Amino acid sequence: MGFKSLAMILGVFMLFVVMPGAHAEDVVKIGIVAPLSAPGGVETGQALVDGAKIAAEELNQSGGLLGKKVELVIGDTSGVPEKGTAVMERMVTHDKVVAVGGEAHSSVTMAEMEVAHRYNIPLVISEAWADEITAKGYPEVFRLTVCNSLIYSKAAKWIKDSGFKHVAVIGENSDWGMGVIKVFKDNLMAAGVKVTSFSAERTTTDFTPQLLQLKSASPPVDFLVDGFTGAGELLMIKQAYELGLAPTKNCALLGAGMDTLYPGFWDTVGEAGVYVLSNPAGLPGIPKTETSEKFTQLFKDKFQREPDAVAMEGYDTVMVIAEAIKLSGSTASKELIDAMENKLSWLGTRGTITFSKEKNPPWAYHLWMDVPVFIIQYTEFKQDPSKAAILWPEEYATVESYIQPPK
Amino acid sequence: MLMLAQLVNALVIGTLYALMSLGLSLIFGVLKLVNFAHGESLMVGGYLYLFLASFFLSHSCGLPLPLALITSMAAVFVFGLILERLFLRSAYERKTARYDEYVILVTFTLGIFLQNLALPLFGPYNRQAPAIFTGRIKIGDLVIAGDRISAAVIAFLIIALLLFFLYRTYLGKGLRAVAQNPDAASILGISVARMRGMAFGIGISLAGVAGALLGPIFLVNPGMGVPFAIKAFVIVVLGGMGSIKGTIIGAFILAMVENFGSILLPDPTRALAYKDAYGLLLLILTLLFRPQGLFGEKERRA
Repeated sequence: MGFKSLAMILGVFMLFVVMPGAHAEDVVKIGIVAPLSAPGGVETGQALVDGAKIAAEELNQSGGLLGKKVELVIGDTSGVPEKGTAVMERMVTHDKVVAVGGEAHSSVTMAEMEVAHRYNIPLVISEAWADEITAKGYPEVFRLTVCNSLIYSKAAKWIKDSGFKHVAVIGENSDWGMGVIKVFKDNLMAAGVKVTSFSAERTTTDFTPQLLQLKSASPPVDFLVDGFTGAGELLMIKQAYELGLAPTKNCALLGAGMDTLYPGFWDTVGEAGVYVLSNPAGLPGIPKTETSEKFTQLFKDKFQREPDAVAMEGYDTVMVIAEAIKLSGSTASKELIDAMENKLSWLGTRGTITFSKEKNPPWAYHLWMDVPVFIIQYTEFKQDPSKAAILWPEEYATVESYIQPPK
Repeated sequence: MLMLAQLVNALVIGTLYALMSLGLSLIFGVLKLVNFAHGESLMVGGYLYLFLASFFLSHSCGLPLPLALITSMAAVFVFGLILERLFLRSAYERKTARYDEYVILVTFTLGIFLQNLALPLFGPYNRQAPAIFTGRIKIGDLVIAGDRISAAVIAFLIIALLLFFLYRTYLGKGLRAVAQNPDAASILGISVARMRGMAFGIGISLAGVAGALLGPIFLVNPGMGVPFAIKAFVIVVLGGMGSIKGTIIGAFILAMVENFGSILLPDPTRALAYKDAYGLLLLILTLLFRPQGLFGEKERRA
């Protein structure tokens, strides 16, 4: 290689290095990581980004942050941990984001938080539920959604109180899916409910062998937990219904992943979706807050559909980061982390968000402890989640107990 | 009864596996290349069927779904002919040095291109294609999903037609002749170049129709072909590269091993997690003890 070509390569390289620096002065960049292609939960990722975009628009309309415009840097992680690491690295080193928010897969989050920890960049998790994420105790990591232990210990109690006797859990072998299996096992077996569990590769498409096995189990399975995300979650519901296993008169079905909340759910599972249970971390307008009403209206105007839990989380994520920037008057990591940990108390779409400093149990650290969680049940074909029956918690319940399918 | 239900499921899946792997086997036999874009051809077929079916349904054509199936298969066949003409024929006719490496790169690139083209074009969402027959079939305690049984029956018919074509028609014999010995076939007046195009078209269209049949059962998305392509590779190696009989038997063996492996393993909580591992274990064992596959020919070295 001659001197000339070497100089040219160096020149081009310098161009790339210098350019973003010059640009970074007049905008505040916030990174959003989300699964936007398979094998990730694509509809979840899209909802998250949609919610985040509304927040950015709102911020810019009211003058931005610290007198600068807000720019979202959106990164597709495909639900693959290695991609999450790469996207985070690029956001921090090349795009120079001040904070990152988002993500809907625990395994990917576990990879991303290592990068956040290394560069000391605040990471606000929107929709990843594994306990380990906050239990690791990284000061940079905050979570404004539930964790497995927080929701499924309560859901397990509800299952036991509703009189179910034999619970089967089929979970994906990811940090989240394995966590679902563990929490159900720990809580239900202690209460004397029989639990059968299977784990499977996330790309599994045919659950028929296991479902057939469950169909002839004794005592009969009366509650099936579908611990998958993406295509797997939908296929399990479809196959369980086709085989006459669940949801039926004899067996309930809980779709634990968020793919039960999107229009695609009805297009893919069809009538199998009626009577399916779901557990969203938030429902539009419950509880009714000023922010939730404003957000619901903006979301409907822009996307022509009802917002869902994940869209609300996406909005809250960007707004919480913005609030921390306003509170500290700075974009320095240290100040932002301090603001979120000690000063933040912001009325979001699902209630007032504060982050706990409690380290016992470990997963409580930097978690929003009062995050609302619901168990809902679809009662009609093509029903919107916001119109479904609410079974739990009691204060918001619209029906007295689980609705048994007629057949 | 449980075992019977499992057996029926394994047979259904096996028939679909056989259909998609036969294309790969045929292409390997005649063109001597491994089609790394096989999974993506399956995906193209899945989407074509999805769109054609909804178009025909909304325009109330006579038998909309079978028509959509045949049209998508034919379209993928033409697509295969064009691809062969554009990317593979020149390499063969000009006797490109390193033909093997060239075709691997071409089909590999094609696969990545198609998948990344589908992503922005159709969106990453899971789509449900309409099944020719829905509902359930009940025989005593045995329940079979309608979409599966109809897909398996159609796949069986297509395989039967393919076998008739390969063994009983002039064109089919020509294809097999080129697979056995292209030089001898050429001396006897068979156009090797034409047969190669034909084999690629038919091979891809088999993947396409398999995608059209799998779409209603396992949902359509841009990455849908990837897991099936891996299974097709296992099947073709297991049965013997290029052997039609071996491919069909290999497909059923893999379906049985996957199905029964995931219920008979002593630790039931992990049995399903290893589902894909059973197939790969089978592949490793084949490569170790019978590298030419069950019905493959040993390479003759002069």
